Amino acid sequence: MSEPIEQPSQGATALRLHRELAAIWGTGPGLQRLAAVNHSIIGKRMMITSFVFFAIAGVLGMLTRVQLATPKGDFMDPETYNQVFTMHGSMMLFLFAIPMVESFAVYLTPKILGTRDFAFPRLTAYGYWCYLFGGTILTVALIAGVAPNSGWFMYTPLSSNLYTPGVNADVWLLGVTFVEISALSLAMEIVVSILKMRAPGMSLDRMPIFGWYILVTAMMMIVAFPPLILGSILLEVERAFGLPFFDPTRGGDPLLWQHLFWLFGHPDVYIIFLPMAGVLSTIIPVFANRPLVGYRAIVVAIVALAFLSFGIWVHHMFTVGIPHLALAFFSLGSAIVAVPTAVQIFAWLATLAHGRPRWDVPMLYVFGFFFIFVMGGLTGVMVAMVPFDWQAHDTYFVVAHMHYVVAGALAFPMLAGFYYWLPLLTGRAAVHRLAVPAFWLVFVGFNLTFFMMHLTGLLGMPRRIYTYQGDEGWNWLNLLSSVGGFVMTIGFALVVIDLIVQLRYGRRVCRNPWGSATLEWAMPIPPPSYAFASIPSLGPGSVQIAPGDLALSLARGEGYLGFARNGWQETLGVHMTTGEPEQLIVLPQPTYLPLFTGLATAAAVLALLFKFYLLSLVAALVTAGLFVLAAQRAGLACDYGPMPVGHRVSVPPHTEVAEAPAWLALISTLVADSTLFTSLLFGTFYLWIAAPNWPSAIAPEPSRMLALVAMATLAIAAAAARGSMRAVAAGGKASGWISLAVLALLAAIAVAVGSIAGVVPHPREHALGATAAALLFYVALHAGIGLLFLVSNFLRLGAGFIAPRRILDLRLTRLWLDYTFVTGVIAIGLVLALPALVTVLGARP
Amino acid sequence: MSERPVPPRHLWWLAAGFTVWCSALVALYAIHGIGCAFGWSTGSLRLWLAATLLAHLILLGWMWRDIARSGPNTDFGPTGAFLHWAVIGTLIAALVATAITFGPPLLLATCI
Repeated sequence: MSEPIEQPSQGATALRLHRELAAIWGTGPGLQRLAAVNHSIIGKRMMITSFVFFAIAGVLGMLTRVQLATPKGDFMDPETYNQVFTMHGSMMLFLFAIPMVESFAVYLTPKILGTRDFAFPRLTAYGYWCYLFGGTILTVALIAGVAPNSGWFMYTPLSSNLYTPGVNADVWLLGVTFVEISALSLAMEIVVSILKMRAPGMSLDRMPIFGWYILVTAMMMIVAFPPLILGSILLEVERAFGLPFFDPTRGGDPLLWQHLFWLFGHPDVYIIFLPMAGVLSTIIPVFANRPLVGYRAIVVAIVALAFLSFGIWVHHMFTVGIPHLALAFFSLGSAIVAVPTAVQIFAWLATLAHGRPRWDVPMLYVFGFFFIFVMGGLTGVMVAMVPFDWQAHDTYFVVAHMHYVVAGALAFPMLAGFYYWLPLLTGRAAVHRLAVPAFWLVFVGFNLTFFMMHLTGLLGMPRRIYTYQGDEGWNWLNLLSSVGGFVMTIGFALVVIDLIVQLRYGRRVCRNPWGSATLEWAMPIPPPSYAFASIPSLGPGSVQIAPGDLALSLARGEGYLGFARNGWQETLGVHMTTGEPEQLIVLPQPTYLPLFTGLATAAAVLALLFKFYLLSLVAALVTAGLFVLAAQRAGLACDYGPMPVGHRVSVPPHTEVAEAPAWLALISTLVADSTLFTSLLFGTFYLWIAAPNWPSAIAPEPSRMLALVAMATLAIAAAAARGSMRAVAAGGKASGWISLAVLALLAAIAVAVGSIAGVVPHPREHALGATAAALLFYVALHAGIGLLFLVSNFLRLGAGFIAPRRILDLRLTRLWLDYTFVTGVIAIGLVLALPALVTVLGARP
Repeated sequence: MSERPVPPRHLWWLAAGFTVWCSALVALYAIHGIGCAFGWSTGSLRLWLAATLLAHLILLGWMWRDIARSGPNTDFGPTGAFLHWAVIGTLIAALVATAITFGPPLLLATCI
């Protein structure tokens, strides 16, 4: 060890602090591990789980290559092949790629930003359990031979009841939606934590670039997932209850599914790429021995990329018959999205060119990334051009492009990051004699597998065929592709062996082995449960962080919160832009609640899958009840006022400030919710204008009186929520106001449900009635969730968690009911406008 | 520290430019869809599209000029200067993206 020798007294101080904090933050042994909520534990579990799914999906990929290695292959029958390739894509995307980048974010973000944990540890754990259970449902379906078989993007009508009558498609719709709950909950958690929980002094302009990447990615997830969640719900409702959103014979349109899917699907590519670009932007400066070139330009590029990636979803639909003018919008958008990507590529190259680069295993993978991602980007610009896409659409050229951009952009930076941060996880170094050949096997195997697919695609080989005749000229290319797949698999197997050898025999490394300048290295390795014994402070003059020196100081408790108090898991909340300390955040300790809530959610999903609808409803209510129960244990039940946090600074606890993490979390939730609502509005208008037989539909006649009553009751509930807030703030009682809000919401639910029962045409007969029912159901559901808020308010008022200085709960309820009122007015207004819209259609030429 | 903290609401400005870009996309795609569905004449549809695009370009140009002219607020220190630079960068990028993405297609046949 080359570190300076500590003074005995200082060492004793550090040891005492370590023991005190470990007792507070630690997770118990044995079964108590199931109660873990710590980000390090959950992050590692997510990594391991995602790699298990990666292995399963990889094996499925190998099976497809075995089938296609030679013409007239009879290794698999067509039905099995359909399930195998569908599950390969679905697992790679939903069970490996997204969770894996999230696991990096979960494990690393608090450490890189200099805080002890995420803002909502129980939500982190719940997200993990949802992911595990959802993934398990899909895997069990595969073993049982009833896996999804309609391709990973589940196009209707192939995935509709008519052509997929079994449970295969339901498994995908419910299982993937279940996993998406996990992704969304983690995304909200990440946004709040990055904005509110950084090291004091870490203003946004000094935030490590990794933080910017993860922040923007999480925001993208909040907006990208809801359209697919809505699409999955609508398709499942069509399959289960016969509401024809996608059935053209009854006023639906299969293309609506494609729009909703790709509104998620295209940003998803960047959701996978951006965190990996964050990994590259962190690693490259370390190995180039100089700071990253173009920090500000990269921030602008990330923001541009995030938005542009949403505006080009139609480039997956160039062949569906959209007019040329509209296609050109998306074609040009798809081309210019390369510009912000190129800004990052050139920034990395400039960093390397202006630095003194050194080679090590992570840099090998960085090299691999450059080669593969640039190739994938170039073929991306090719397929962005409409005439070329018409030729290459649904051929293996697209499969090759997708694997170069998604697999290349993910796998190589992931492995670079994996080797870079493994010493942090394990305290040991990689074994070079295995790591280097592993890289070359993966690199050569990858290119051999997927480059050949460009050629088979250009020769006209369609994707998803289960065999071919042998006279098309594809034989040797397919054989090479299959050989390459096995070479790549051997490479990945060597990576796994390297990891096992490293864990057992790897050389122990000192802290900060790469000479990095980010905070995750300013802690003991492997990191303890509390991450930092005291929270680092970035003084105004400190430009470059020296993790080695800082670590010793932090271990002695010389940063913020370098002590234990009341057995609380304490960390700091900061001002969003400047990073100045603002509040003391007391985090919840390990609990089984996330596990039980995840199990209840899984029960609801499984009951839906097996069509036990009443049971599913009960399980959903239990899930909601567990959320309310979790809320009862949050916060502090008395006023503390400002408390010392070190460095002569005192701040109030998060329960007594306006900008508490929960406030920002609810705003994030409402952004996701409003995206789903907007997607529903888009769906309604899309069907109105594009579905084939709306003009012939019977014009509905919704009751204006009932609609006005519904709007009025929602307004009363929102007003009563304000009344309850004012009453408590003035030291009075709020129970009357809350009761009024409850009654108003019950009335709103009754009216909305009654209106659904009276929808004309019947929701099963025509998509017009189905969309009206969906809009009204949205209102009823939100009023129902509002009831849960109010029940929680009642309980927490009684338990003393709500007081004049602690009205956060009531503010949250008010915000929810305001949102419910606004969306309720829009949804009911649209239902009222439907007759006029149908009449207008009749007048068109 | 004599600097004032940059109010968190200023962060929304980072998204402002590309929100206008999104608005242009939604508006143009919707007008085009409605125009084709209801059989608008080529001239009037093209005029509507051009006017919509022009309105968005003017809005973006005005936002850029307004923000650039006011300069970074020195009270907000380096964080304010950084955000000011980043906001201007996103506004320029959004303006260029709007012009390139939506301008040339308006010359194409409208509903074929």
